[in-house]
Amino acid sequence: MSTVVGGAAASGSVGGGPLLSVRDLSVVFGRRGQPGFTAVHHVSFDVAGGEVVGIVGESGSGKSVTSMAVMGLLPARGVRISGEARYRGRDLLTMPDRERARYRGAELAMVFQDPMTSLNPVVTVGTQVTEVLHAHERLSRADARDQAVDLLRRCGIPDPARRLGEYPHQLSGGMRQRALIATALACKPKLLICDEPTTALDVTIQAQVLELLVELVRDLGTAMVMITHDLGVVAGLCDQVNVMYAGRIVERAGCHELFARPRHRYTEGLLASIPRLDGDRSLPLTPIPGTPRDVVAWDRACAFAPRCRFVTDACVRGDLALAPLGPGHDVRCVHPAGGAAPGAVTATIQEAP
Amino acid sequence: MTDHLVEAQDLKVHYPIRRGLVFDRTVGHVRAVDGVSLAVPRGSTYGLVGESGCGKSTLGRALLRLEETAGGQIVFDGDDITQLRGEPLRVLRRRMQMVFQDPMASLDPRQSIQSLLTEPLRVHGLAEADREEFGADSSASHLAKAVRMLELVGLPRATLEKYPHEFSGGQRQRIGIARAVILNPELVIADEPVSALDVSVQAQVINLLEDLQDALGLTYVVVAHDLAVVRHISDRIGVMYLGVIVEEAPADDLYAEPLHPYTITLLSAIPVPDPVAEASRERILLSGDLPSPANPPTGCRFHTRCPWVRDELCRTEVPALREIAPGRRVACHWAESIAAGRLAPDADAVVPPRGD
Repeated sequence: MSTVVGGAAASGSVGGGPLLSVRDLSVVFGRRGQPGFTAVHHVSFDVAGGEVVGIVGESGSGKSVTSMAVMGLLPARGVRISGEARYRGRDLLTMPDRERARYRGAELAMVFQDPMTSLNPVVTVGTQVTEVLHAHERLSRADARDQAVDLLRRCGIPDPARRLGEYPHQLSGGMRQRALIATALACKPKLLICDEPTTALDVTIQAQVLELLVELVRDLGTAMVMITHDLGVVAGLCDQVNVMYAGRIVERAGCHELFARPRHRYTEGLLASIPRLDGDRSLPLTPIPGTPRDVVAWDRACAFAPRCRFVTDACVRGDLALAPLGPGHDVRCVHPAGGAAPGAVTATIQEAP
Repeated sequence: MTDHLVEAQDLKVHYPIRRGLVFDRTVGHVRAVDGVSLAVPRGSTYGLVGESGCGKSTLGRALLRLEETAGGQIVFDGDDITQLRGEPLRVLRRRMQMVFQDPMASLDPRQSIQSLLTEPLRVHGLAEADREEFGADSSASHLAKAVRMLELVGLPRATLEKYPHEFSGGQRQRIGIARAVILNPELVIADEPVSALDVSVQAQVINLLEDLQDALGLTYVVVAHDLAVVRHISDRIGVMYLGVIVEEAPADDLYAEPLHPYTITLLSAIPVPDPVAEASRERILLSGDLPSPANPPTGCRFHTRCPWVRDELCRTEVPALREIAPGRRVACHWAESIAAGRLAPDADAVVPPRGD
């Protein structure tokens, strides 16, 4: 189940273990006395120090809720969270709020999708960047300001001293996202969670921001969780990739392995359905039928079964485990692509707990 | 000569910037589209790409006469329609229709699908060709045509009694497309037809648009920011920057050999879902943001961000969109030198491949 690979694991982790270890994380939304909606279903993954882990999925797959739960950003009411998310061995989900607040912003930071809604519109950029420094590093006002200028400059914002006094609406979308990244990196976090950091941006600006993230993460040795629906972004950045569908991880592999040999039928279908810039234009796209809303409950069947071309009775016979199909390659599928004869695979998966 | 269904000549759309409460003064203009010439052959697909604010949507709307033009000409099927108004314009509308980006915002939530689909028929009546099959205009013949359209876009008949909220994004977009083609139009302008949809659903809608084009002989102008999508469905692509077309080329050539510096950087910025290709992808980064279209840079509009920018010529002289190879038009003073490799981009802008 471990996704730790390579020597990168040693740096920044305690006792050789992963930096962040999420185990059986489930998030259920719902009011008491009513059947809840399971947004995240027994999700487990590890992030080693300095590693970039991707979580890919479409809207509603639970990828954002996963990150919000890890960061403790979900509301207390109406949400049931179970499982654990250990950061350097300490469970973030059960630790008291005050203790978690010490980690959040300092060792764990987050970059959100839409910088217009995640920056406070009535507070200057400078105040928002220095706020973290005041809270965690107890810097004086002047020192914090100097450091903020330096941060904004490193994040590629021209004339940073003037920008500090400006409000978010005075910055362009790309600049706002840079300011948000500066805020997230202010305390040199060990782990940065990026939730669709470039989705709201144009492609040339996206390239600037991704380049900035890669550079900063490399310089600081920060581990990163990259949450996105864009397989292109994943291919360029990630070491490990988790593919989510309907609240569960359906496939996990190293980046090259995943794109070269997608085994889950959903991953395979997704790759066949997106037009590629360098692809053959004369070939028609092969869409995945149905919509991401056509799901069945995971505990009764494979949730992808209603949209899958390879569905058989075995797919709707019960819970499926995320089973290893090769070195570092786990798949939750009865009939994985490019594998052995369907019958043989069915047997191994049904034996799994 | 090629048979062009729609043509634009030096088309301009300017939005006034107004100031003042009592005396409404016009203090300037946003030059959303500033002198665009293009021609779309009948039965083909013309793709317009560019980043937000480049004027691609405005241009698409202007071709349908949905925007006031500030200059230039629009020629539809050989007739100048730039100044057309009143009844002749209304009659013309049946021949040109639009598919919108957000199918939730463009379908009235309080109209049933039947009402939504037959509304264009109530306004314009059935097309001549359809009268033979479905009979004279009546609610029965309109209903029959609506059912036929639903079949064509792959939705069941039971759809008619439902309302937009009962459908997923992809299904709603199918309804929007059915409504756009129910009048048997010749030209369909699709403004970001798939960008609001889930990744796994986009291919369904792209394939549907292609199938309809084959079945009905439609001419498309597809406006989108996703170059991979545009490249897939277009025959010709126009790349826009700050209200002008900077390069126009057949879809395959544009990717194989981009000529304008903006196209080169745009293509280099797009991530490809393939780690091997990603590792060897050299990226050229643009500095800064898009300048304001209210006050575009002098000379070449791209010179403020261009990694190949040379000298006075770029800053003072507006480059014309000129044909430098058969079917290839580009608006750059140095296009030949860049293509031949005699000019290199500013080294600071080039990010080497990440490797592995």
